[in-house]
Amino acid sequence: MLYFDHSATTPILPEVAQKIDHTNREHYANPSSIYSLGRKARSLIEKARQQVADAIGAKAEQIYFTSGGTEANNQVLWSKLAEKKKHIIASSIEHPAILKALKRIESYGITFSLLPVDNKGTVKADSLEHLINENTGLISIMFANNEVGTIQPIQDIVKKTSSLDIPFHTDAVQALGKTPVNVSTLGVDYLSLSAHKFYGPKGIGALFVKNKKMLKPLIIGGEQESGLRAGTENISGIVGMGLAAELASKNQKDCFEHLNILKEYFMENLKPRFPNAIFNGNHNHCLPGLISISFPKNRSDILMAKLDRKGIAVSNGAACNTGNVKPSVVLKAMGIEDDLNISTLRISFGNGNSLDDVDQLLKALEIII
Amino acid sequence: MSDTIIIGMSGGVDSAVAASILIEKGYTVEAVFMKNWDEKDEEFCTAARDYKDALQVCEILDIPLRSIDLTEEYWEKVFKIFLEECGIGRTPNPDIICNKEIKFRAFLDYALELGAKKIATGHYAQIKNHENTFQLLRGKDSNKDQSYFLYRLDQYQISKSIFPIGDLDKEYVRKKANDLNFLNHNKKDSTGICFIGERNYKNFLKKFFDTQSGNIVSNNGDIIGKHDGLMYYTYGQRQGLGIGGGYSNREAPWYVSDKILSENRLIVAQGHDHPDLYHTFLTASSINWISGSAPLSESKITAKIRYRSRDASCRIIEKAKNILVEFDSPQFAIAPGQSIVFYNNDVCIGGGIIESRSNSQSK
Repeated sequence: MLYFDHSATTPILPEVAQKIDHTNREHYANPSSIYSLGRKARSLIEKARQQVADAIGAKAEQIYFTSGGTEANNQVLWSKLAEKKKHIIASSIEHPAILKALKRIESYGITFSLLPVDNKGTVKADSLEHLINENTGLISIMFANNEVGTIQPIQDIVKKTSSLDIPFHTDAVQALGKTPVNVSTLGVDYLSLSAHKFYGPKGIGALFVKNKKMLKPLIIGGEQESGLRAGTENISGIVGMGLAAELASKNQKDCFEHLNILKEYFMENLKPRFPNAIFNGNHNHCLPGLISISFPKNRSDILMAKLDRKGIAVSNGAACNTGNVKPSVVLKAMGIEDDLNISTLRISFGNGNSLDDVDQLLKALEIII
Repeated sequence: MSDTIIIGMSGGVDSAVAASILIEKGYTVEAVFMKNWDEKDEEFCTAARDYKDALQVCEILDIPLRSIDLTEEYWEKVFKIFLEECGIGRTPNPDIICNKEIKFRAFLDYALELGAKKIATGHYAQIKNHENTFQLLRGKDSNKDQSYFLYRLDQYQISKSIFPIGDLDKEYVRKKANDLNFLNHNKKDSTGICFIGERNYKNFLKKFFDTQSGNIVSNNGDIIGKHDGLMYYTYGQRQGLGIGGGYSNREAPWYVSDKILSENRLIVAQGHDHPDLYHTFLTASSINWISGSAPLSESKITAKIRYRSRDASCRIIEKAKNILVEFDSPQFAIAPGQSIVFYNNDVCIGGGIIESRSNSQSK
């Protein structure tokens, strides 16, 4: 199997898998228990919290573990129900974990506006001031888009709006490990992470919150996570995420270079073979290793099925859209025509891919198109 | 490598066993799950469960399963026509149009584009190549025969299709599914119109129409009840009229014999044998002859005027764009909008959509 869908999820690192397995076997005690076994489990969680905090330049007490990026995003949005200012601004190309959640909480009194993007998928930051009103209680703009890889100018937008004192959230699940992520440089108030996007386990994520007062629990019960996320902790998942986050941030530069080499090689070799192919996104500000490419007159579901037969995994749009050949919302928001939209593949390289793998992908594309 | 056959996998037992038979025959088999209907009402949405069942079958058979979303095509080409027909008081059969336009067109196109040699489905029908013409035959299990739903297919569509269980009995199919550990081996057969499923037909239609209630009038002209809107009733319908008769009453039950749209009246006749419920002639439009040409006039044929009706001997006495059919004996509750499908022994030769019925040749 040639796997080129790392934006959907990544294979777990062997050392992370080993650590998870070990934790499950040895540290089964409830971290809330006071005996030594429980205390040990607690200390493992706190160590992991520090690892995640270090990876994004935060303090440990600003990190809350969740079941993943989706829950982290939801918790931020649902928290706004308890606040006075109930208007939210999000970009029009957010993940469904933001866009659909917004639609849901609309029925509970939240209003929202969507910030448009240009044809490269960059938010039109100038439009922001027209959307902001005195009731705006949150701006949520993703760090990097999952379908086209465009990195948003978060730092600039935060600076622009800082005088207004509006809390700022960024969904950074696609970014960690590929590009530097630092909460103080960015200046954000909330930031969502998901372990399985950086070679960690599935079912675990984290939310950075600058100030605890800005968050309300979404899952109610015990006092875990300072009362902000009830439920006995997923210790092995947390430990796995901690290690994966540490490695992701430590290896980020190498990873960035490796993925860029693969991407450049792919693009250079593809262009002469498929002069009609169109690359989407912003090439100056995008995730390394992620390519959104349209092959006019070739439906993506057909291409994917043919690649699948050859043991090659790529995606069209986001993995969450499986079984759906409808035009991608993200590409639509970028103004891409439906015909081209449904002819778009997303190829996302990972640390395990080699130039030889890319050659095989190019060869396969040449055969099937 | 052997020819690739792509099977339409519904999550039911028939297409599952059909796939296993193709594998036994040495084909390279891939499965596709078609999503034709976008159901918001979870209570009636079986698509998610059907997909899981299909996935389990494909895991056991070790074949890939892909999905294709044809909801838009289905809405445009099948459901809109269904609503139009209902709106003018007819009794449409959307599953027939679905086969013609969706399964054996949109899905077929998709499968061929994917490099399939042919498609397969779990229909109980058979295909024979007779002197370079593809014939559609009844399924061997006469109780399950589905050729009625396939009569609108043309030579090209049939030439690209395989019905792997057409020569099997349902009982055998279920047993084979059980032997293969398919979890859907005892899943209930789907009944009725696919997008309505088990739900109440009237409640479903209500969402799409503003209907006018009106009088139920006996064939003598007496007003004997109220109806909720003509489109909720079909010819020959007995239950749900709300005008007595039937089990609790000594009198014979009432049946719908006619609908008069211009006066919003539902005409009923008492007793299953009432002559107003029977007609000897009918006209039909949108004729499809599977071989490409009409049968010879003198040929002795039979016809079904609805799925599961018994074959009735008949003659086609006028063959133009529309046809006029004469039955040997009067037929009960001929319903405009339904299909008349012709057979020459076991060969399904084609059919059309019923337009009108009468008891004299001059209409």
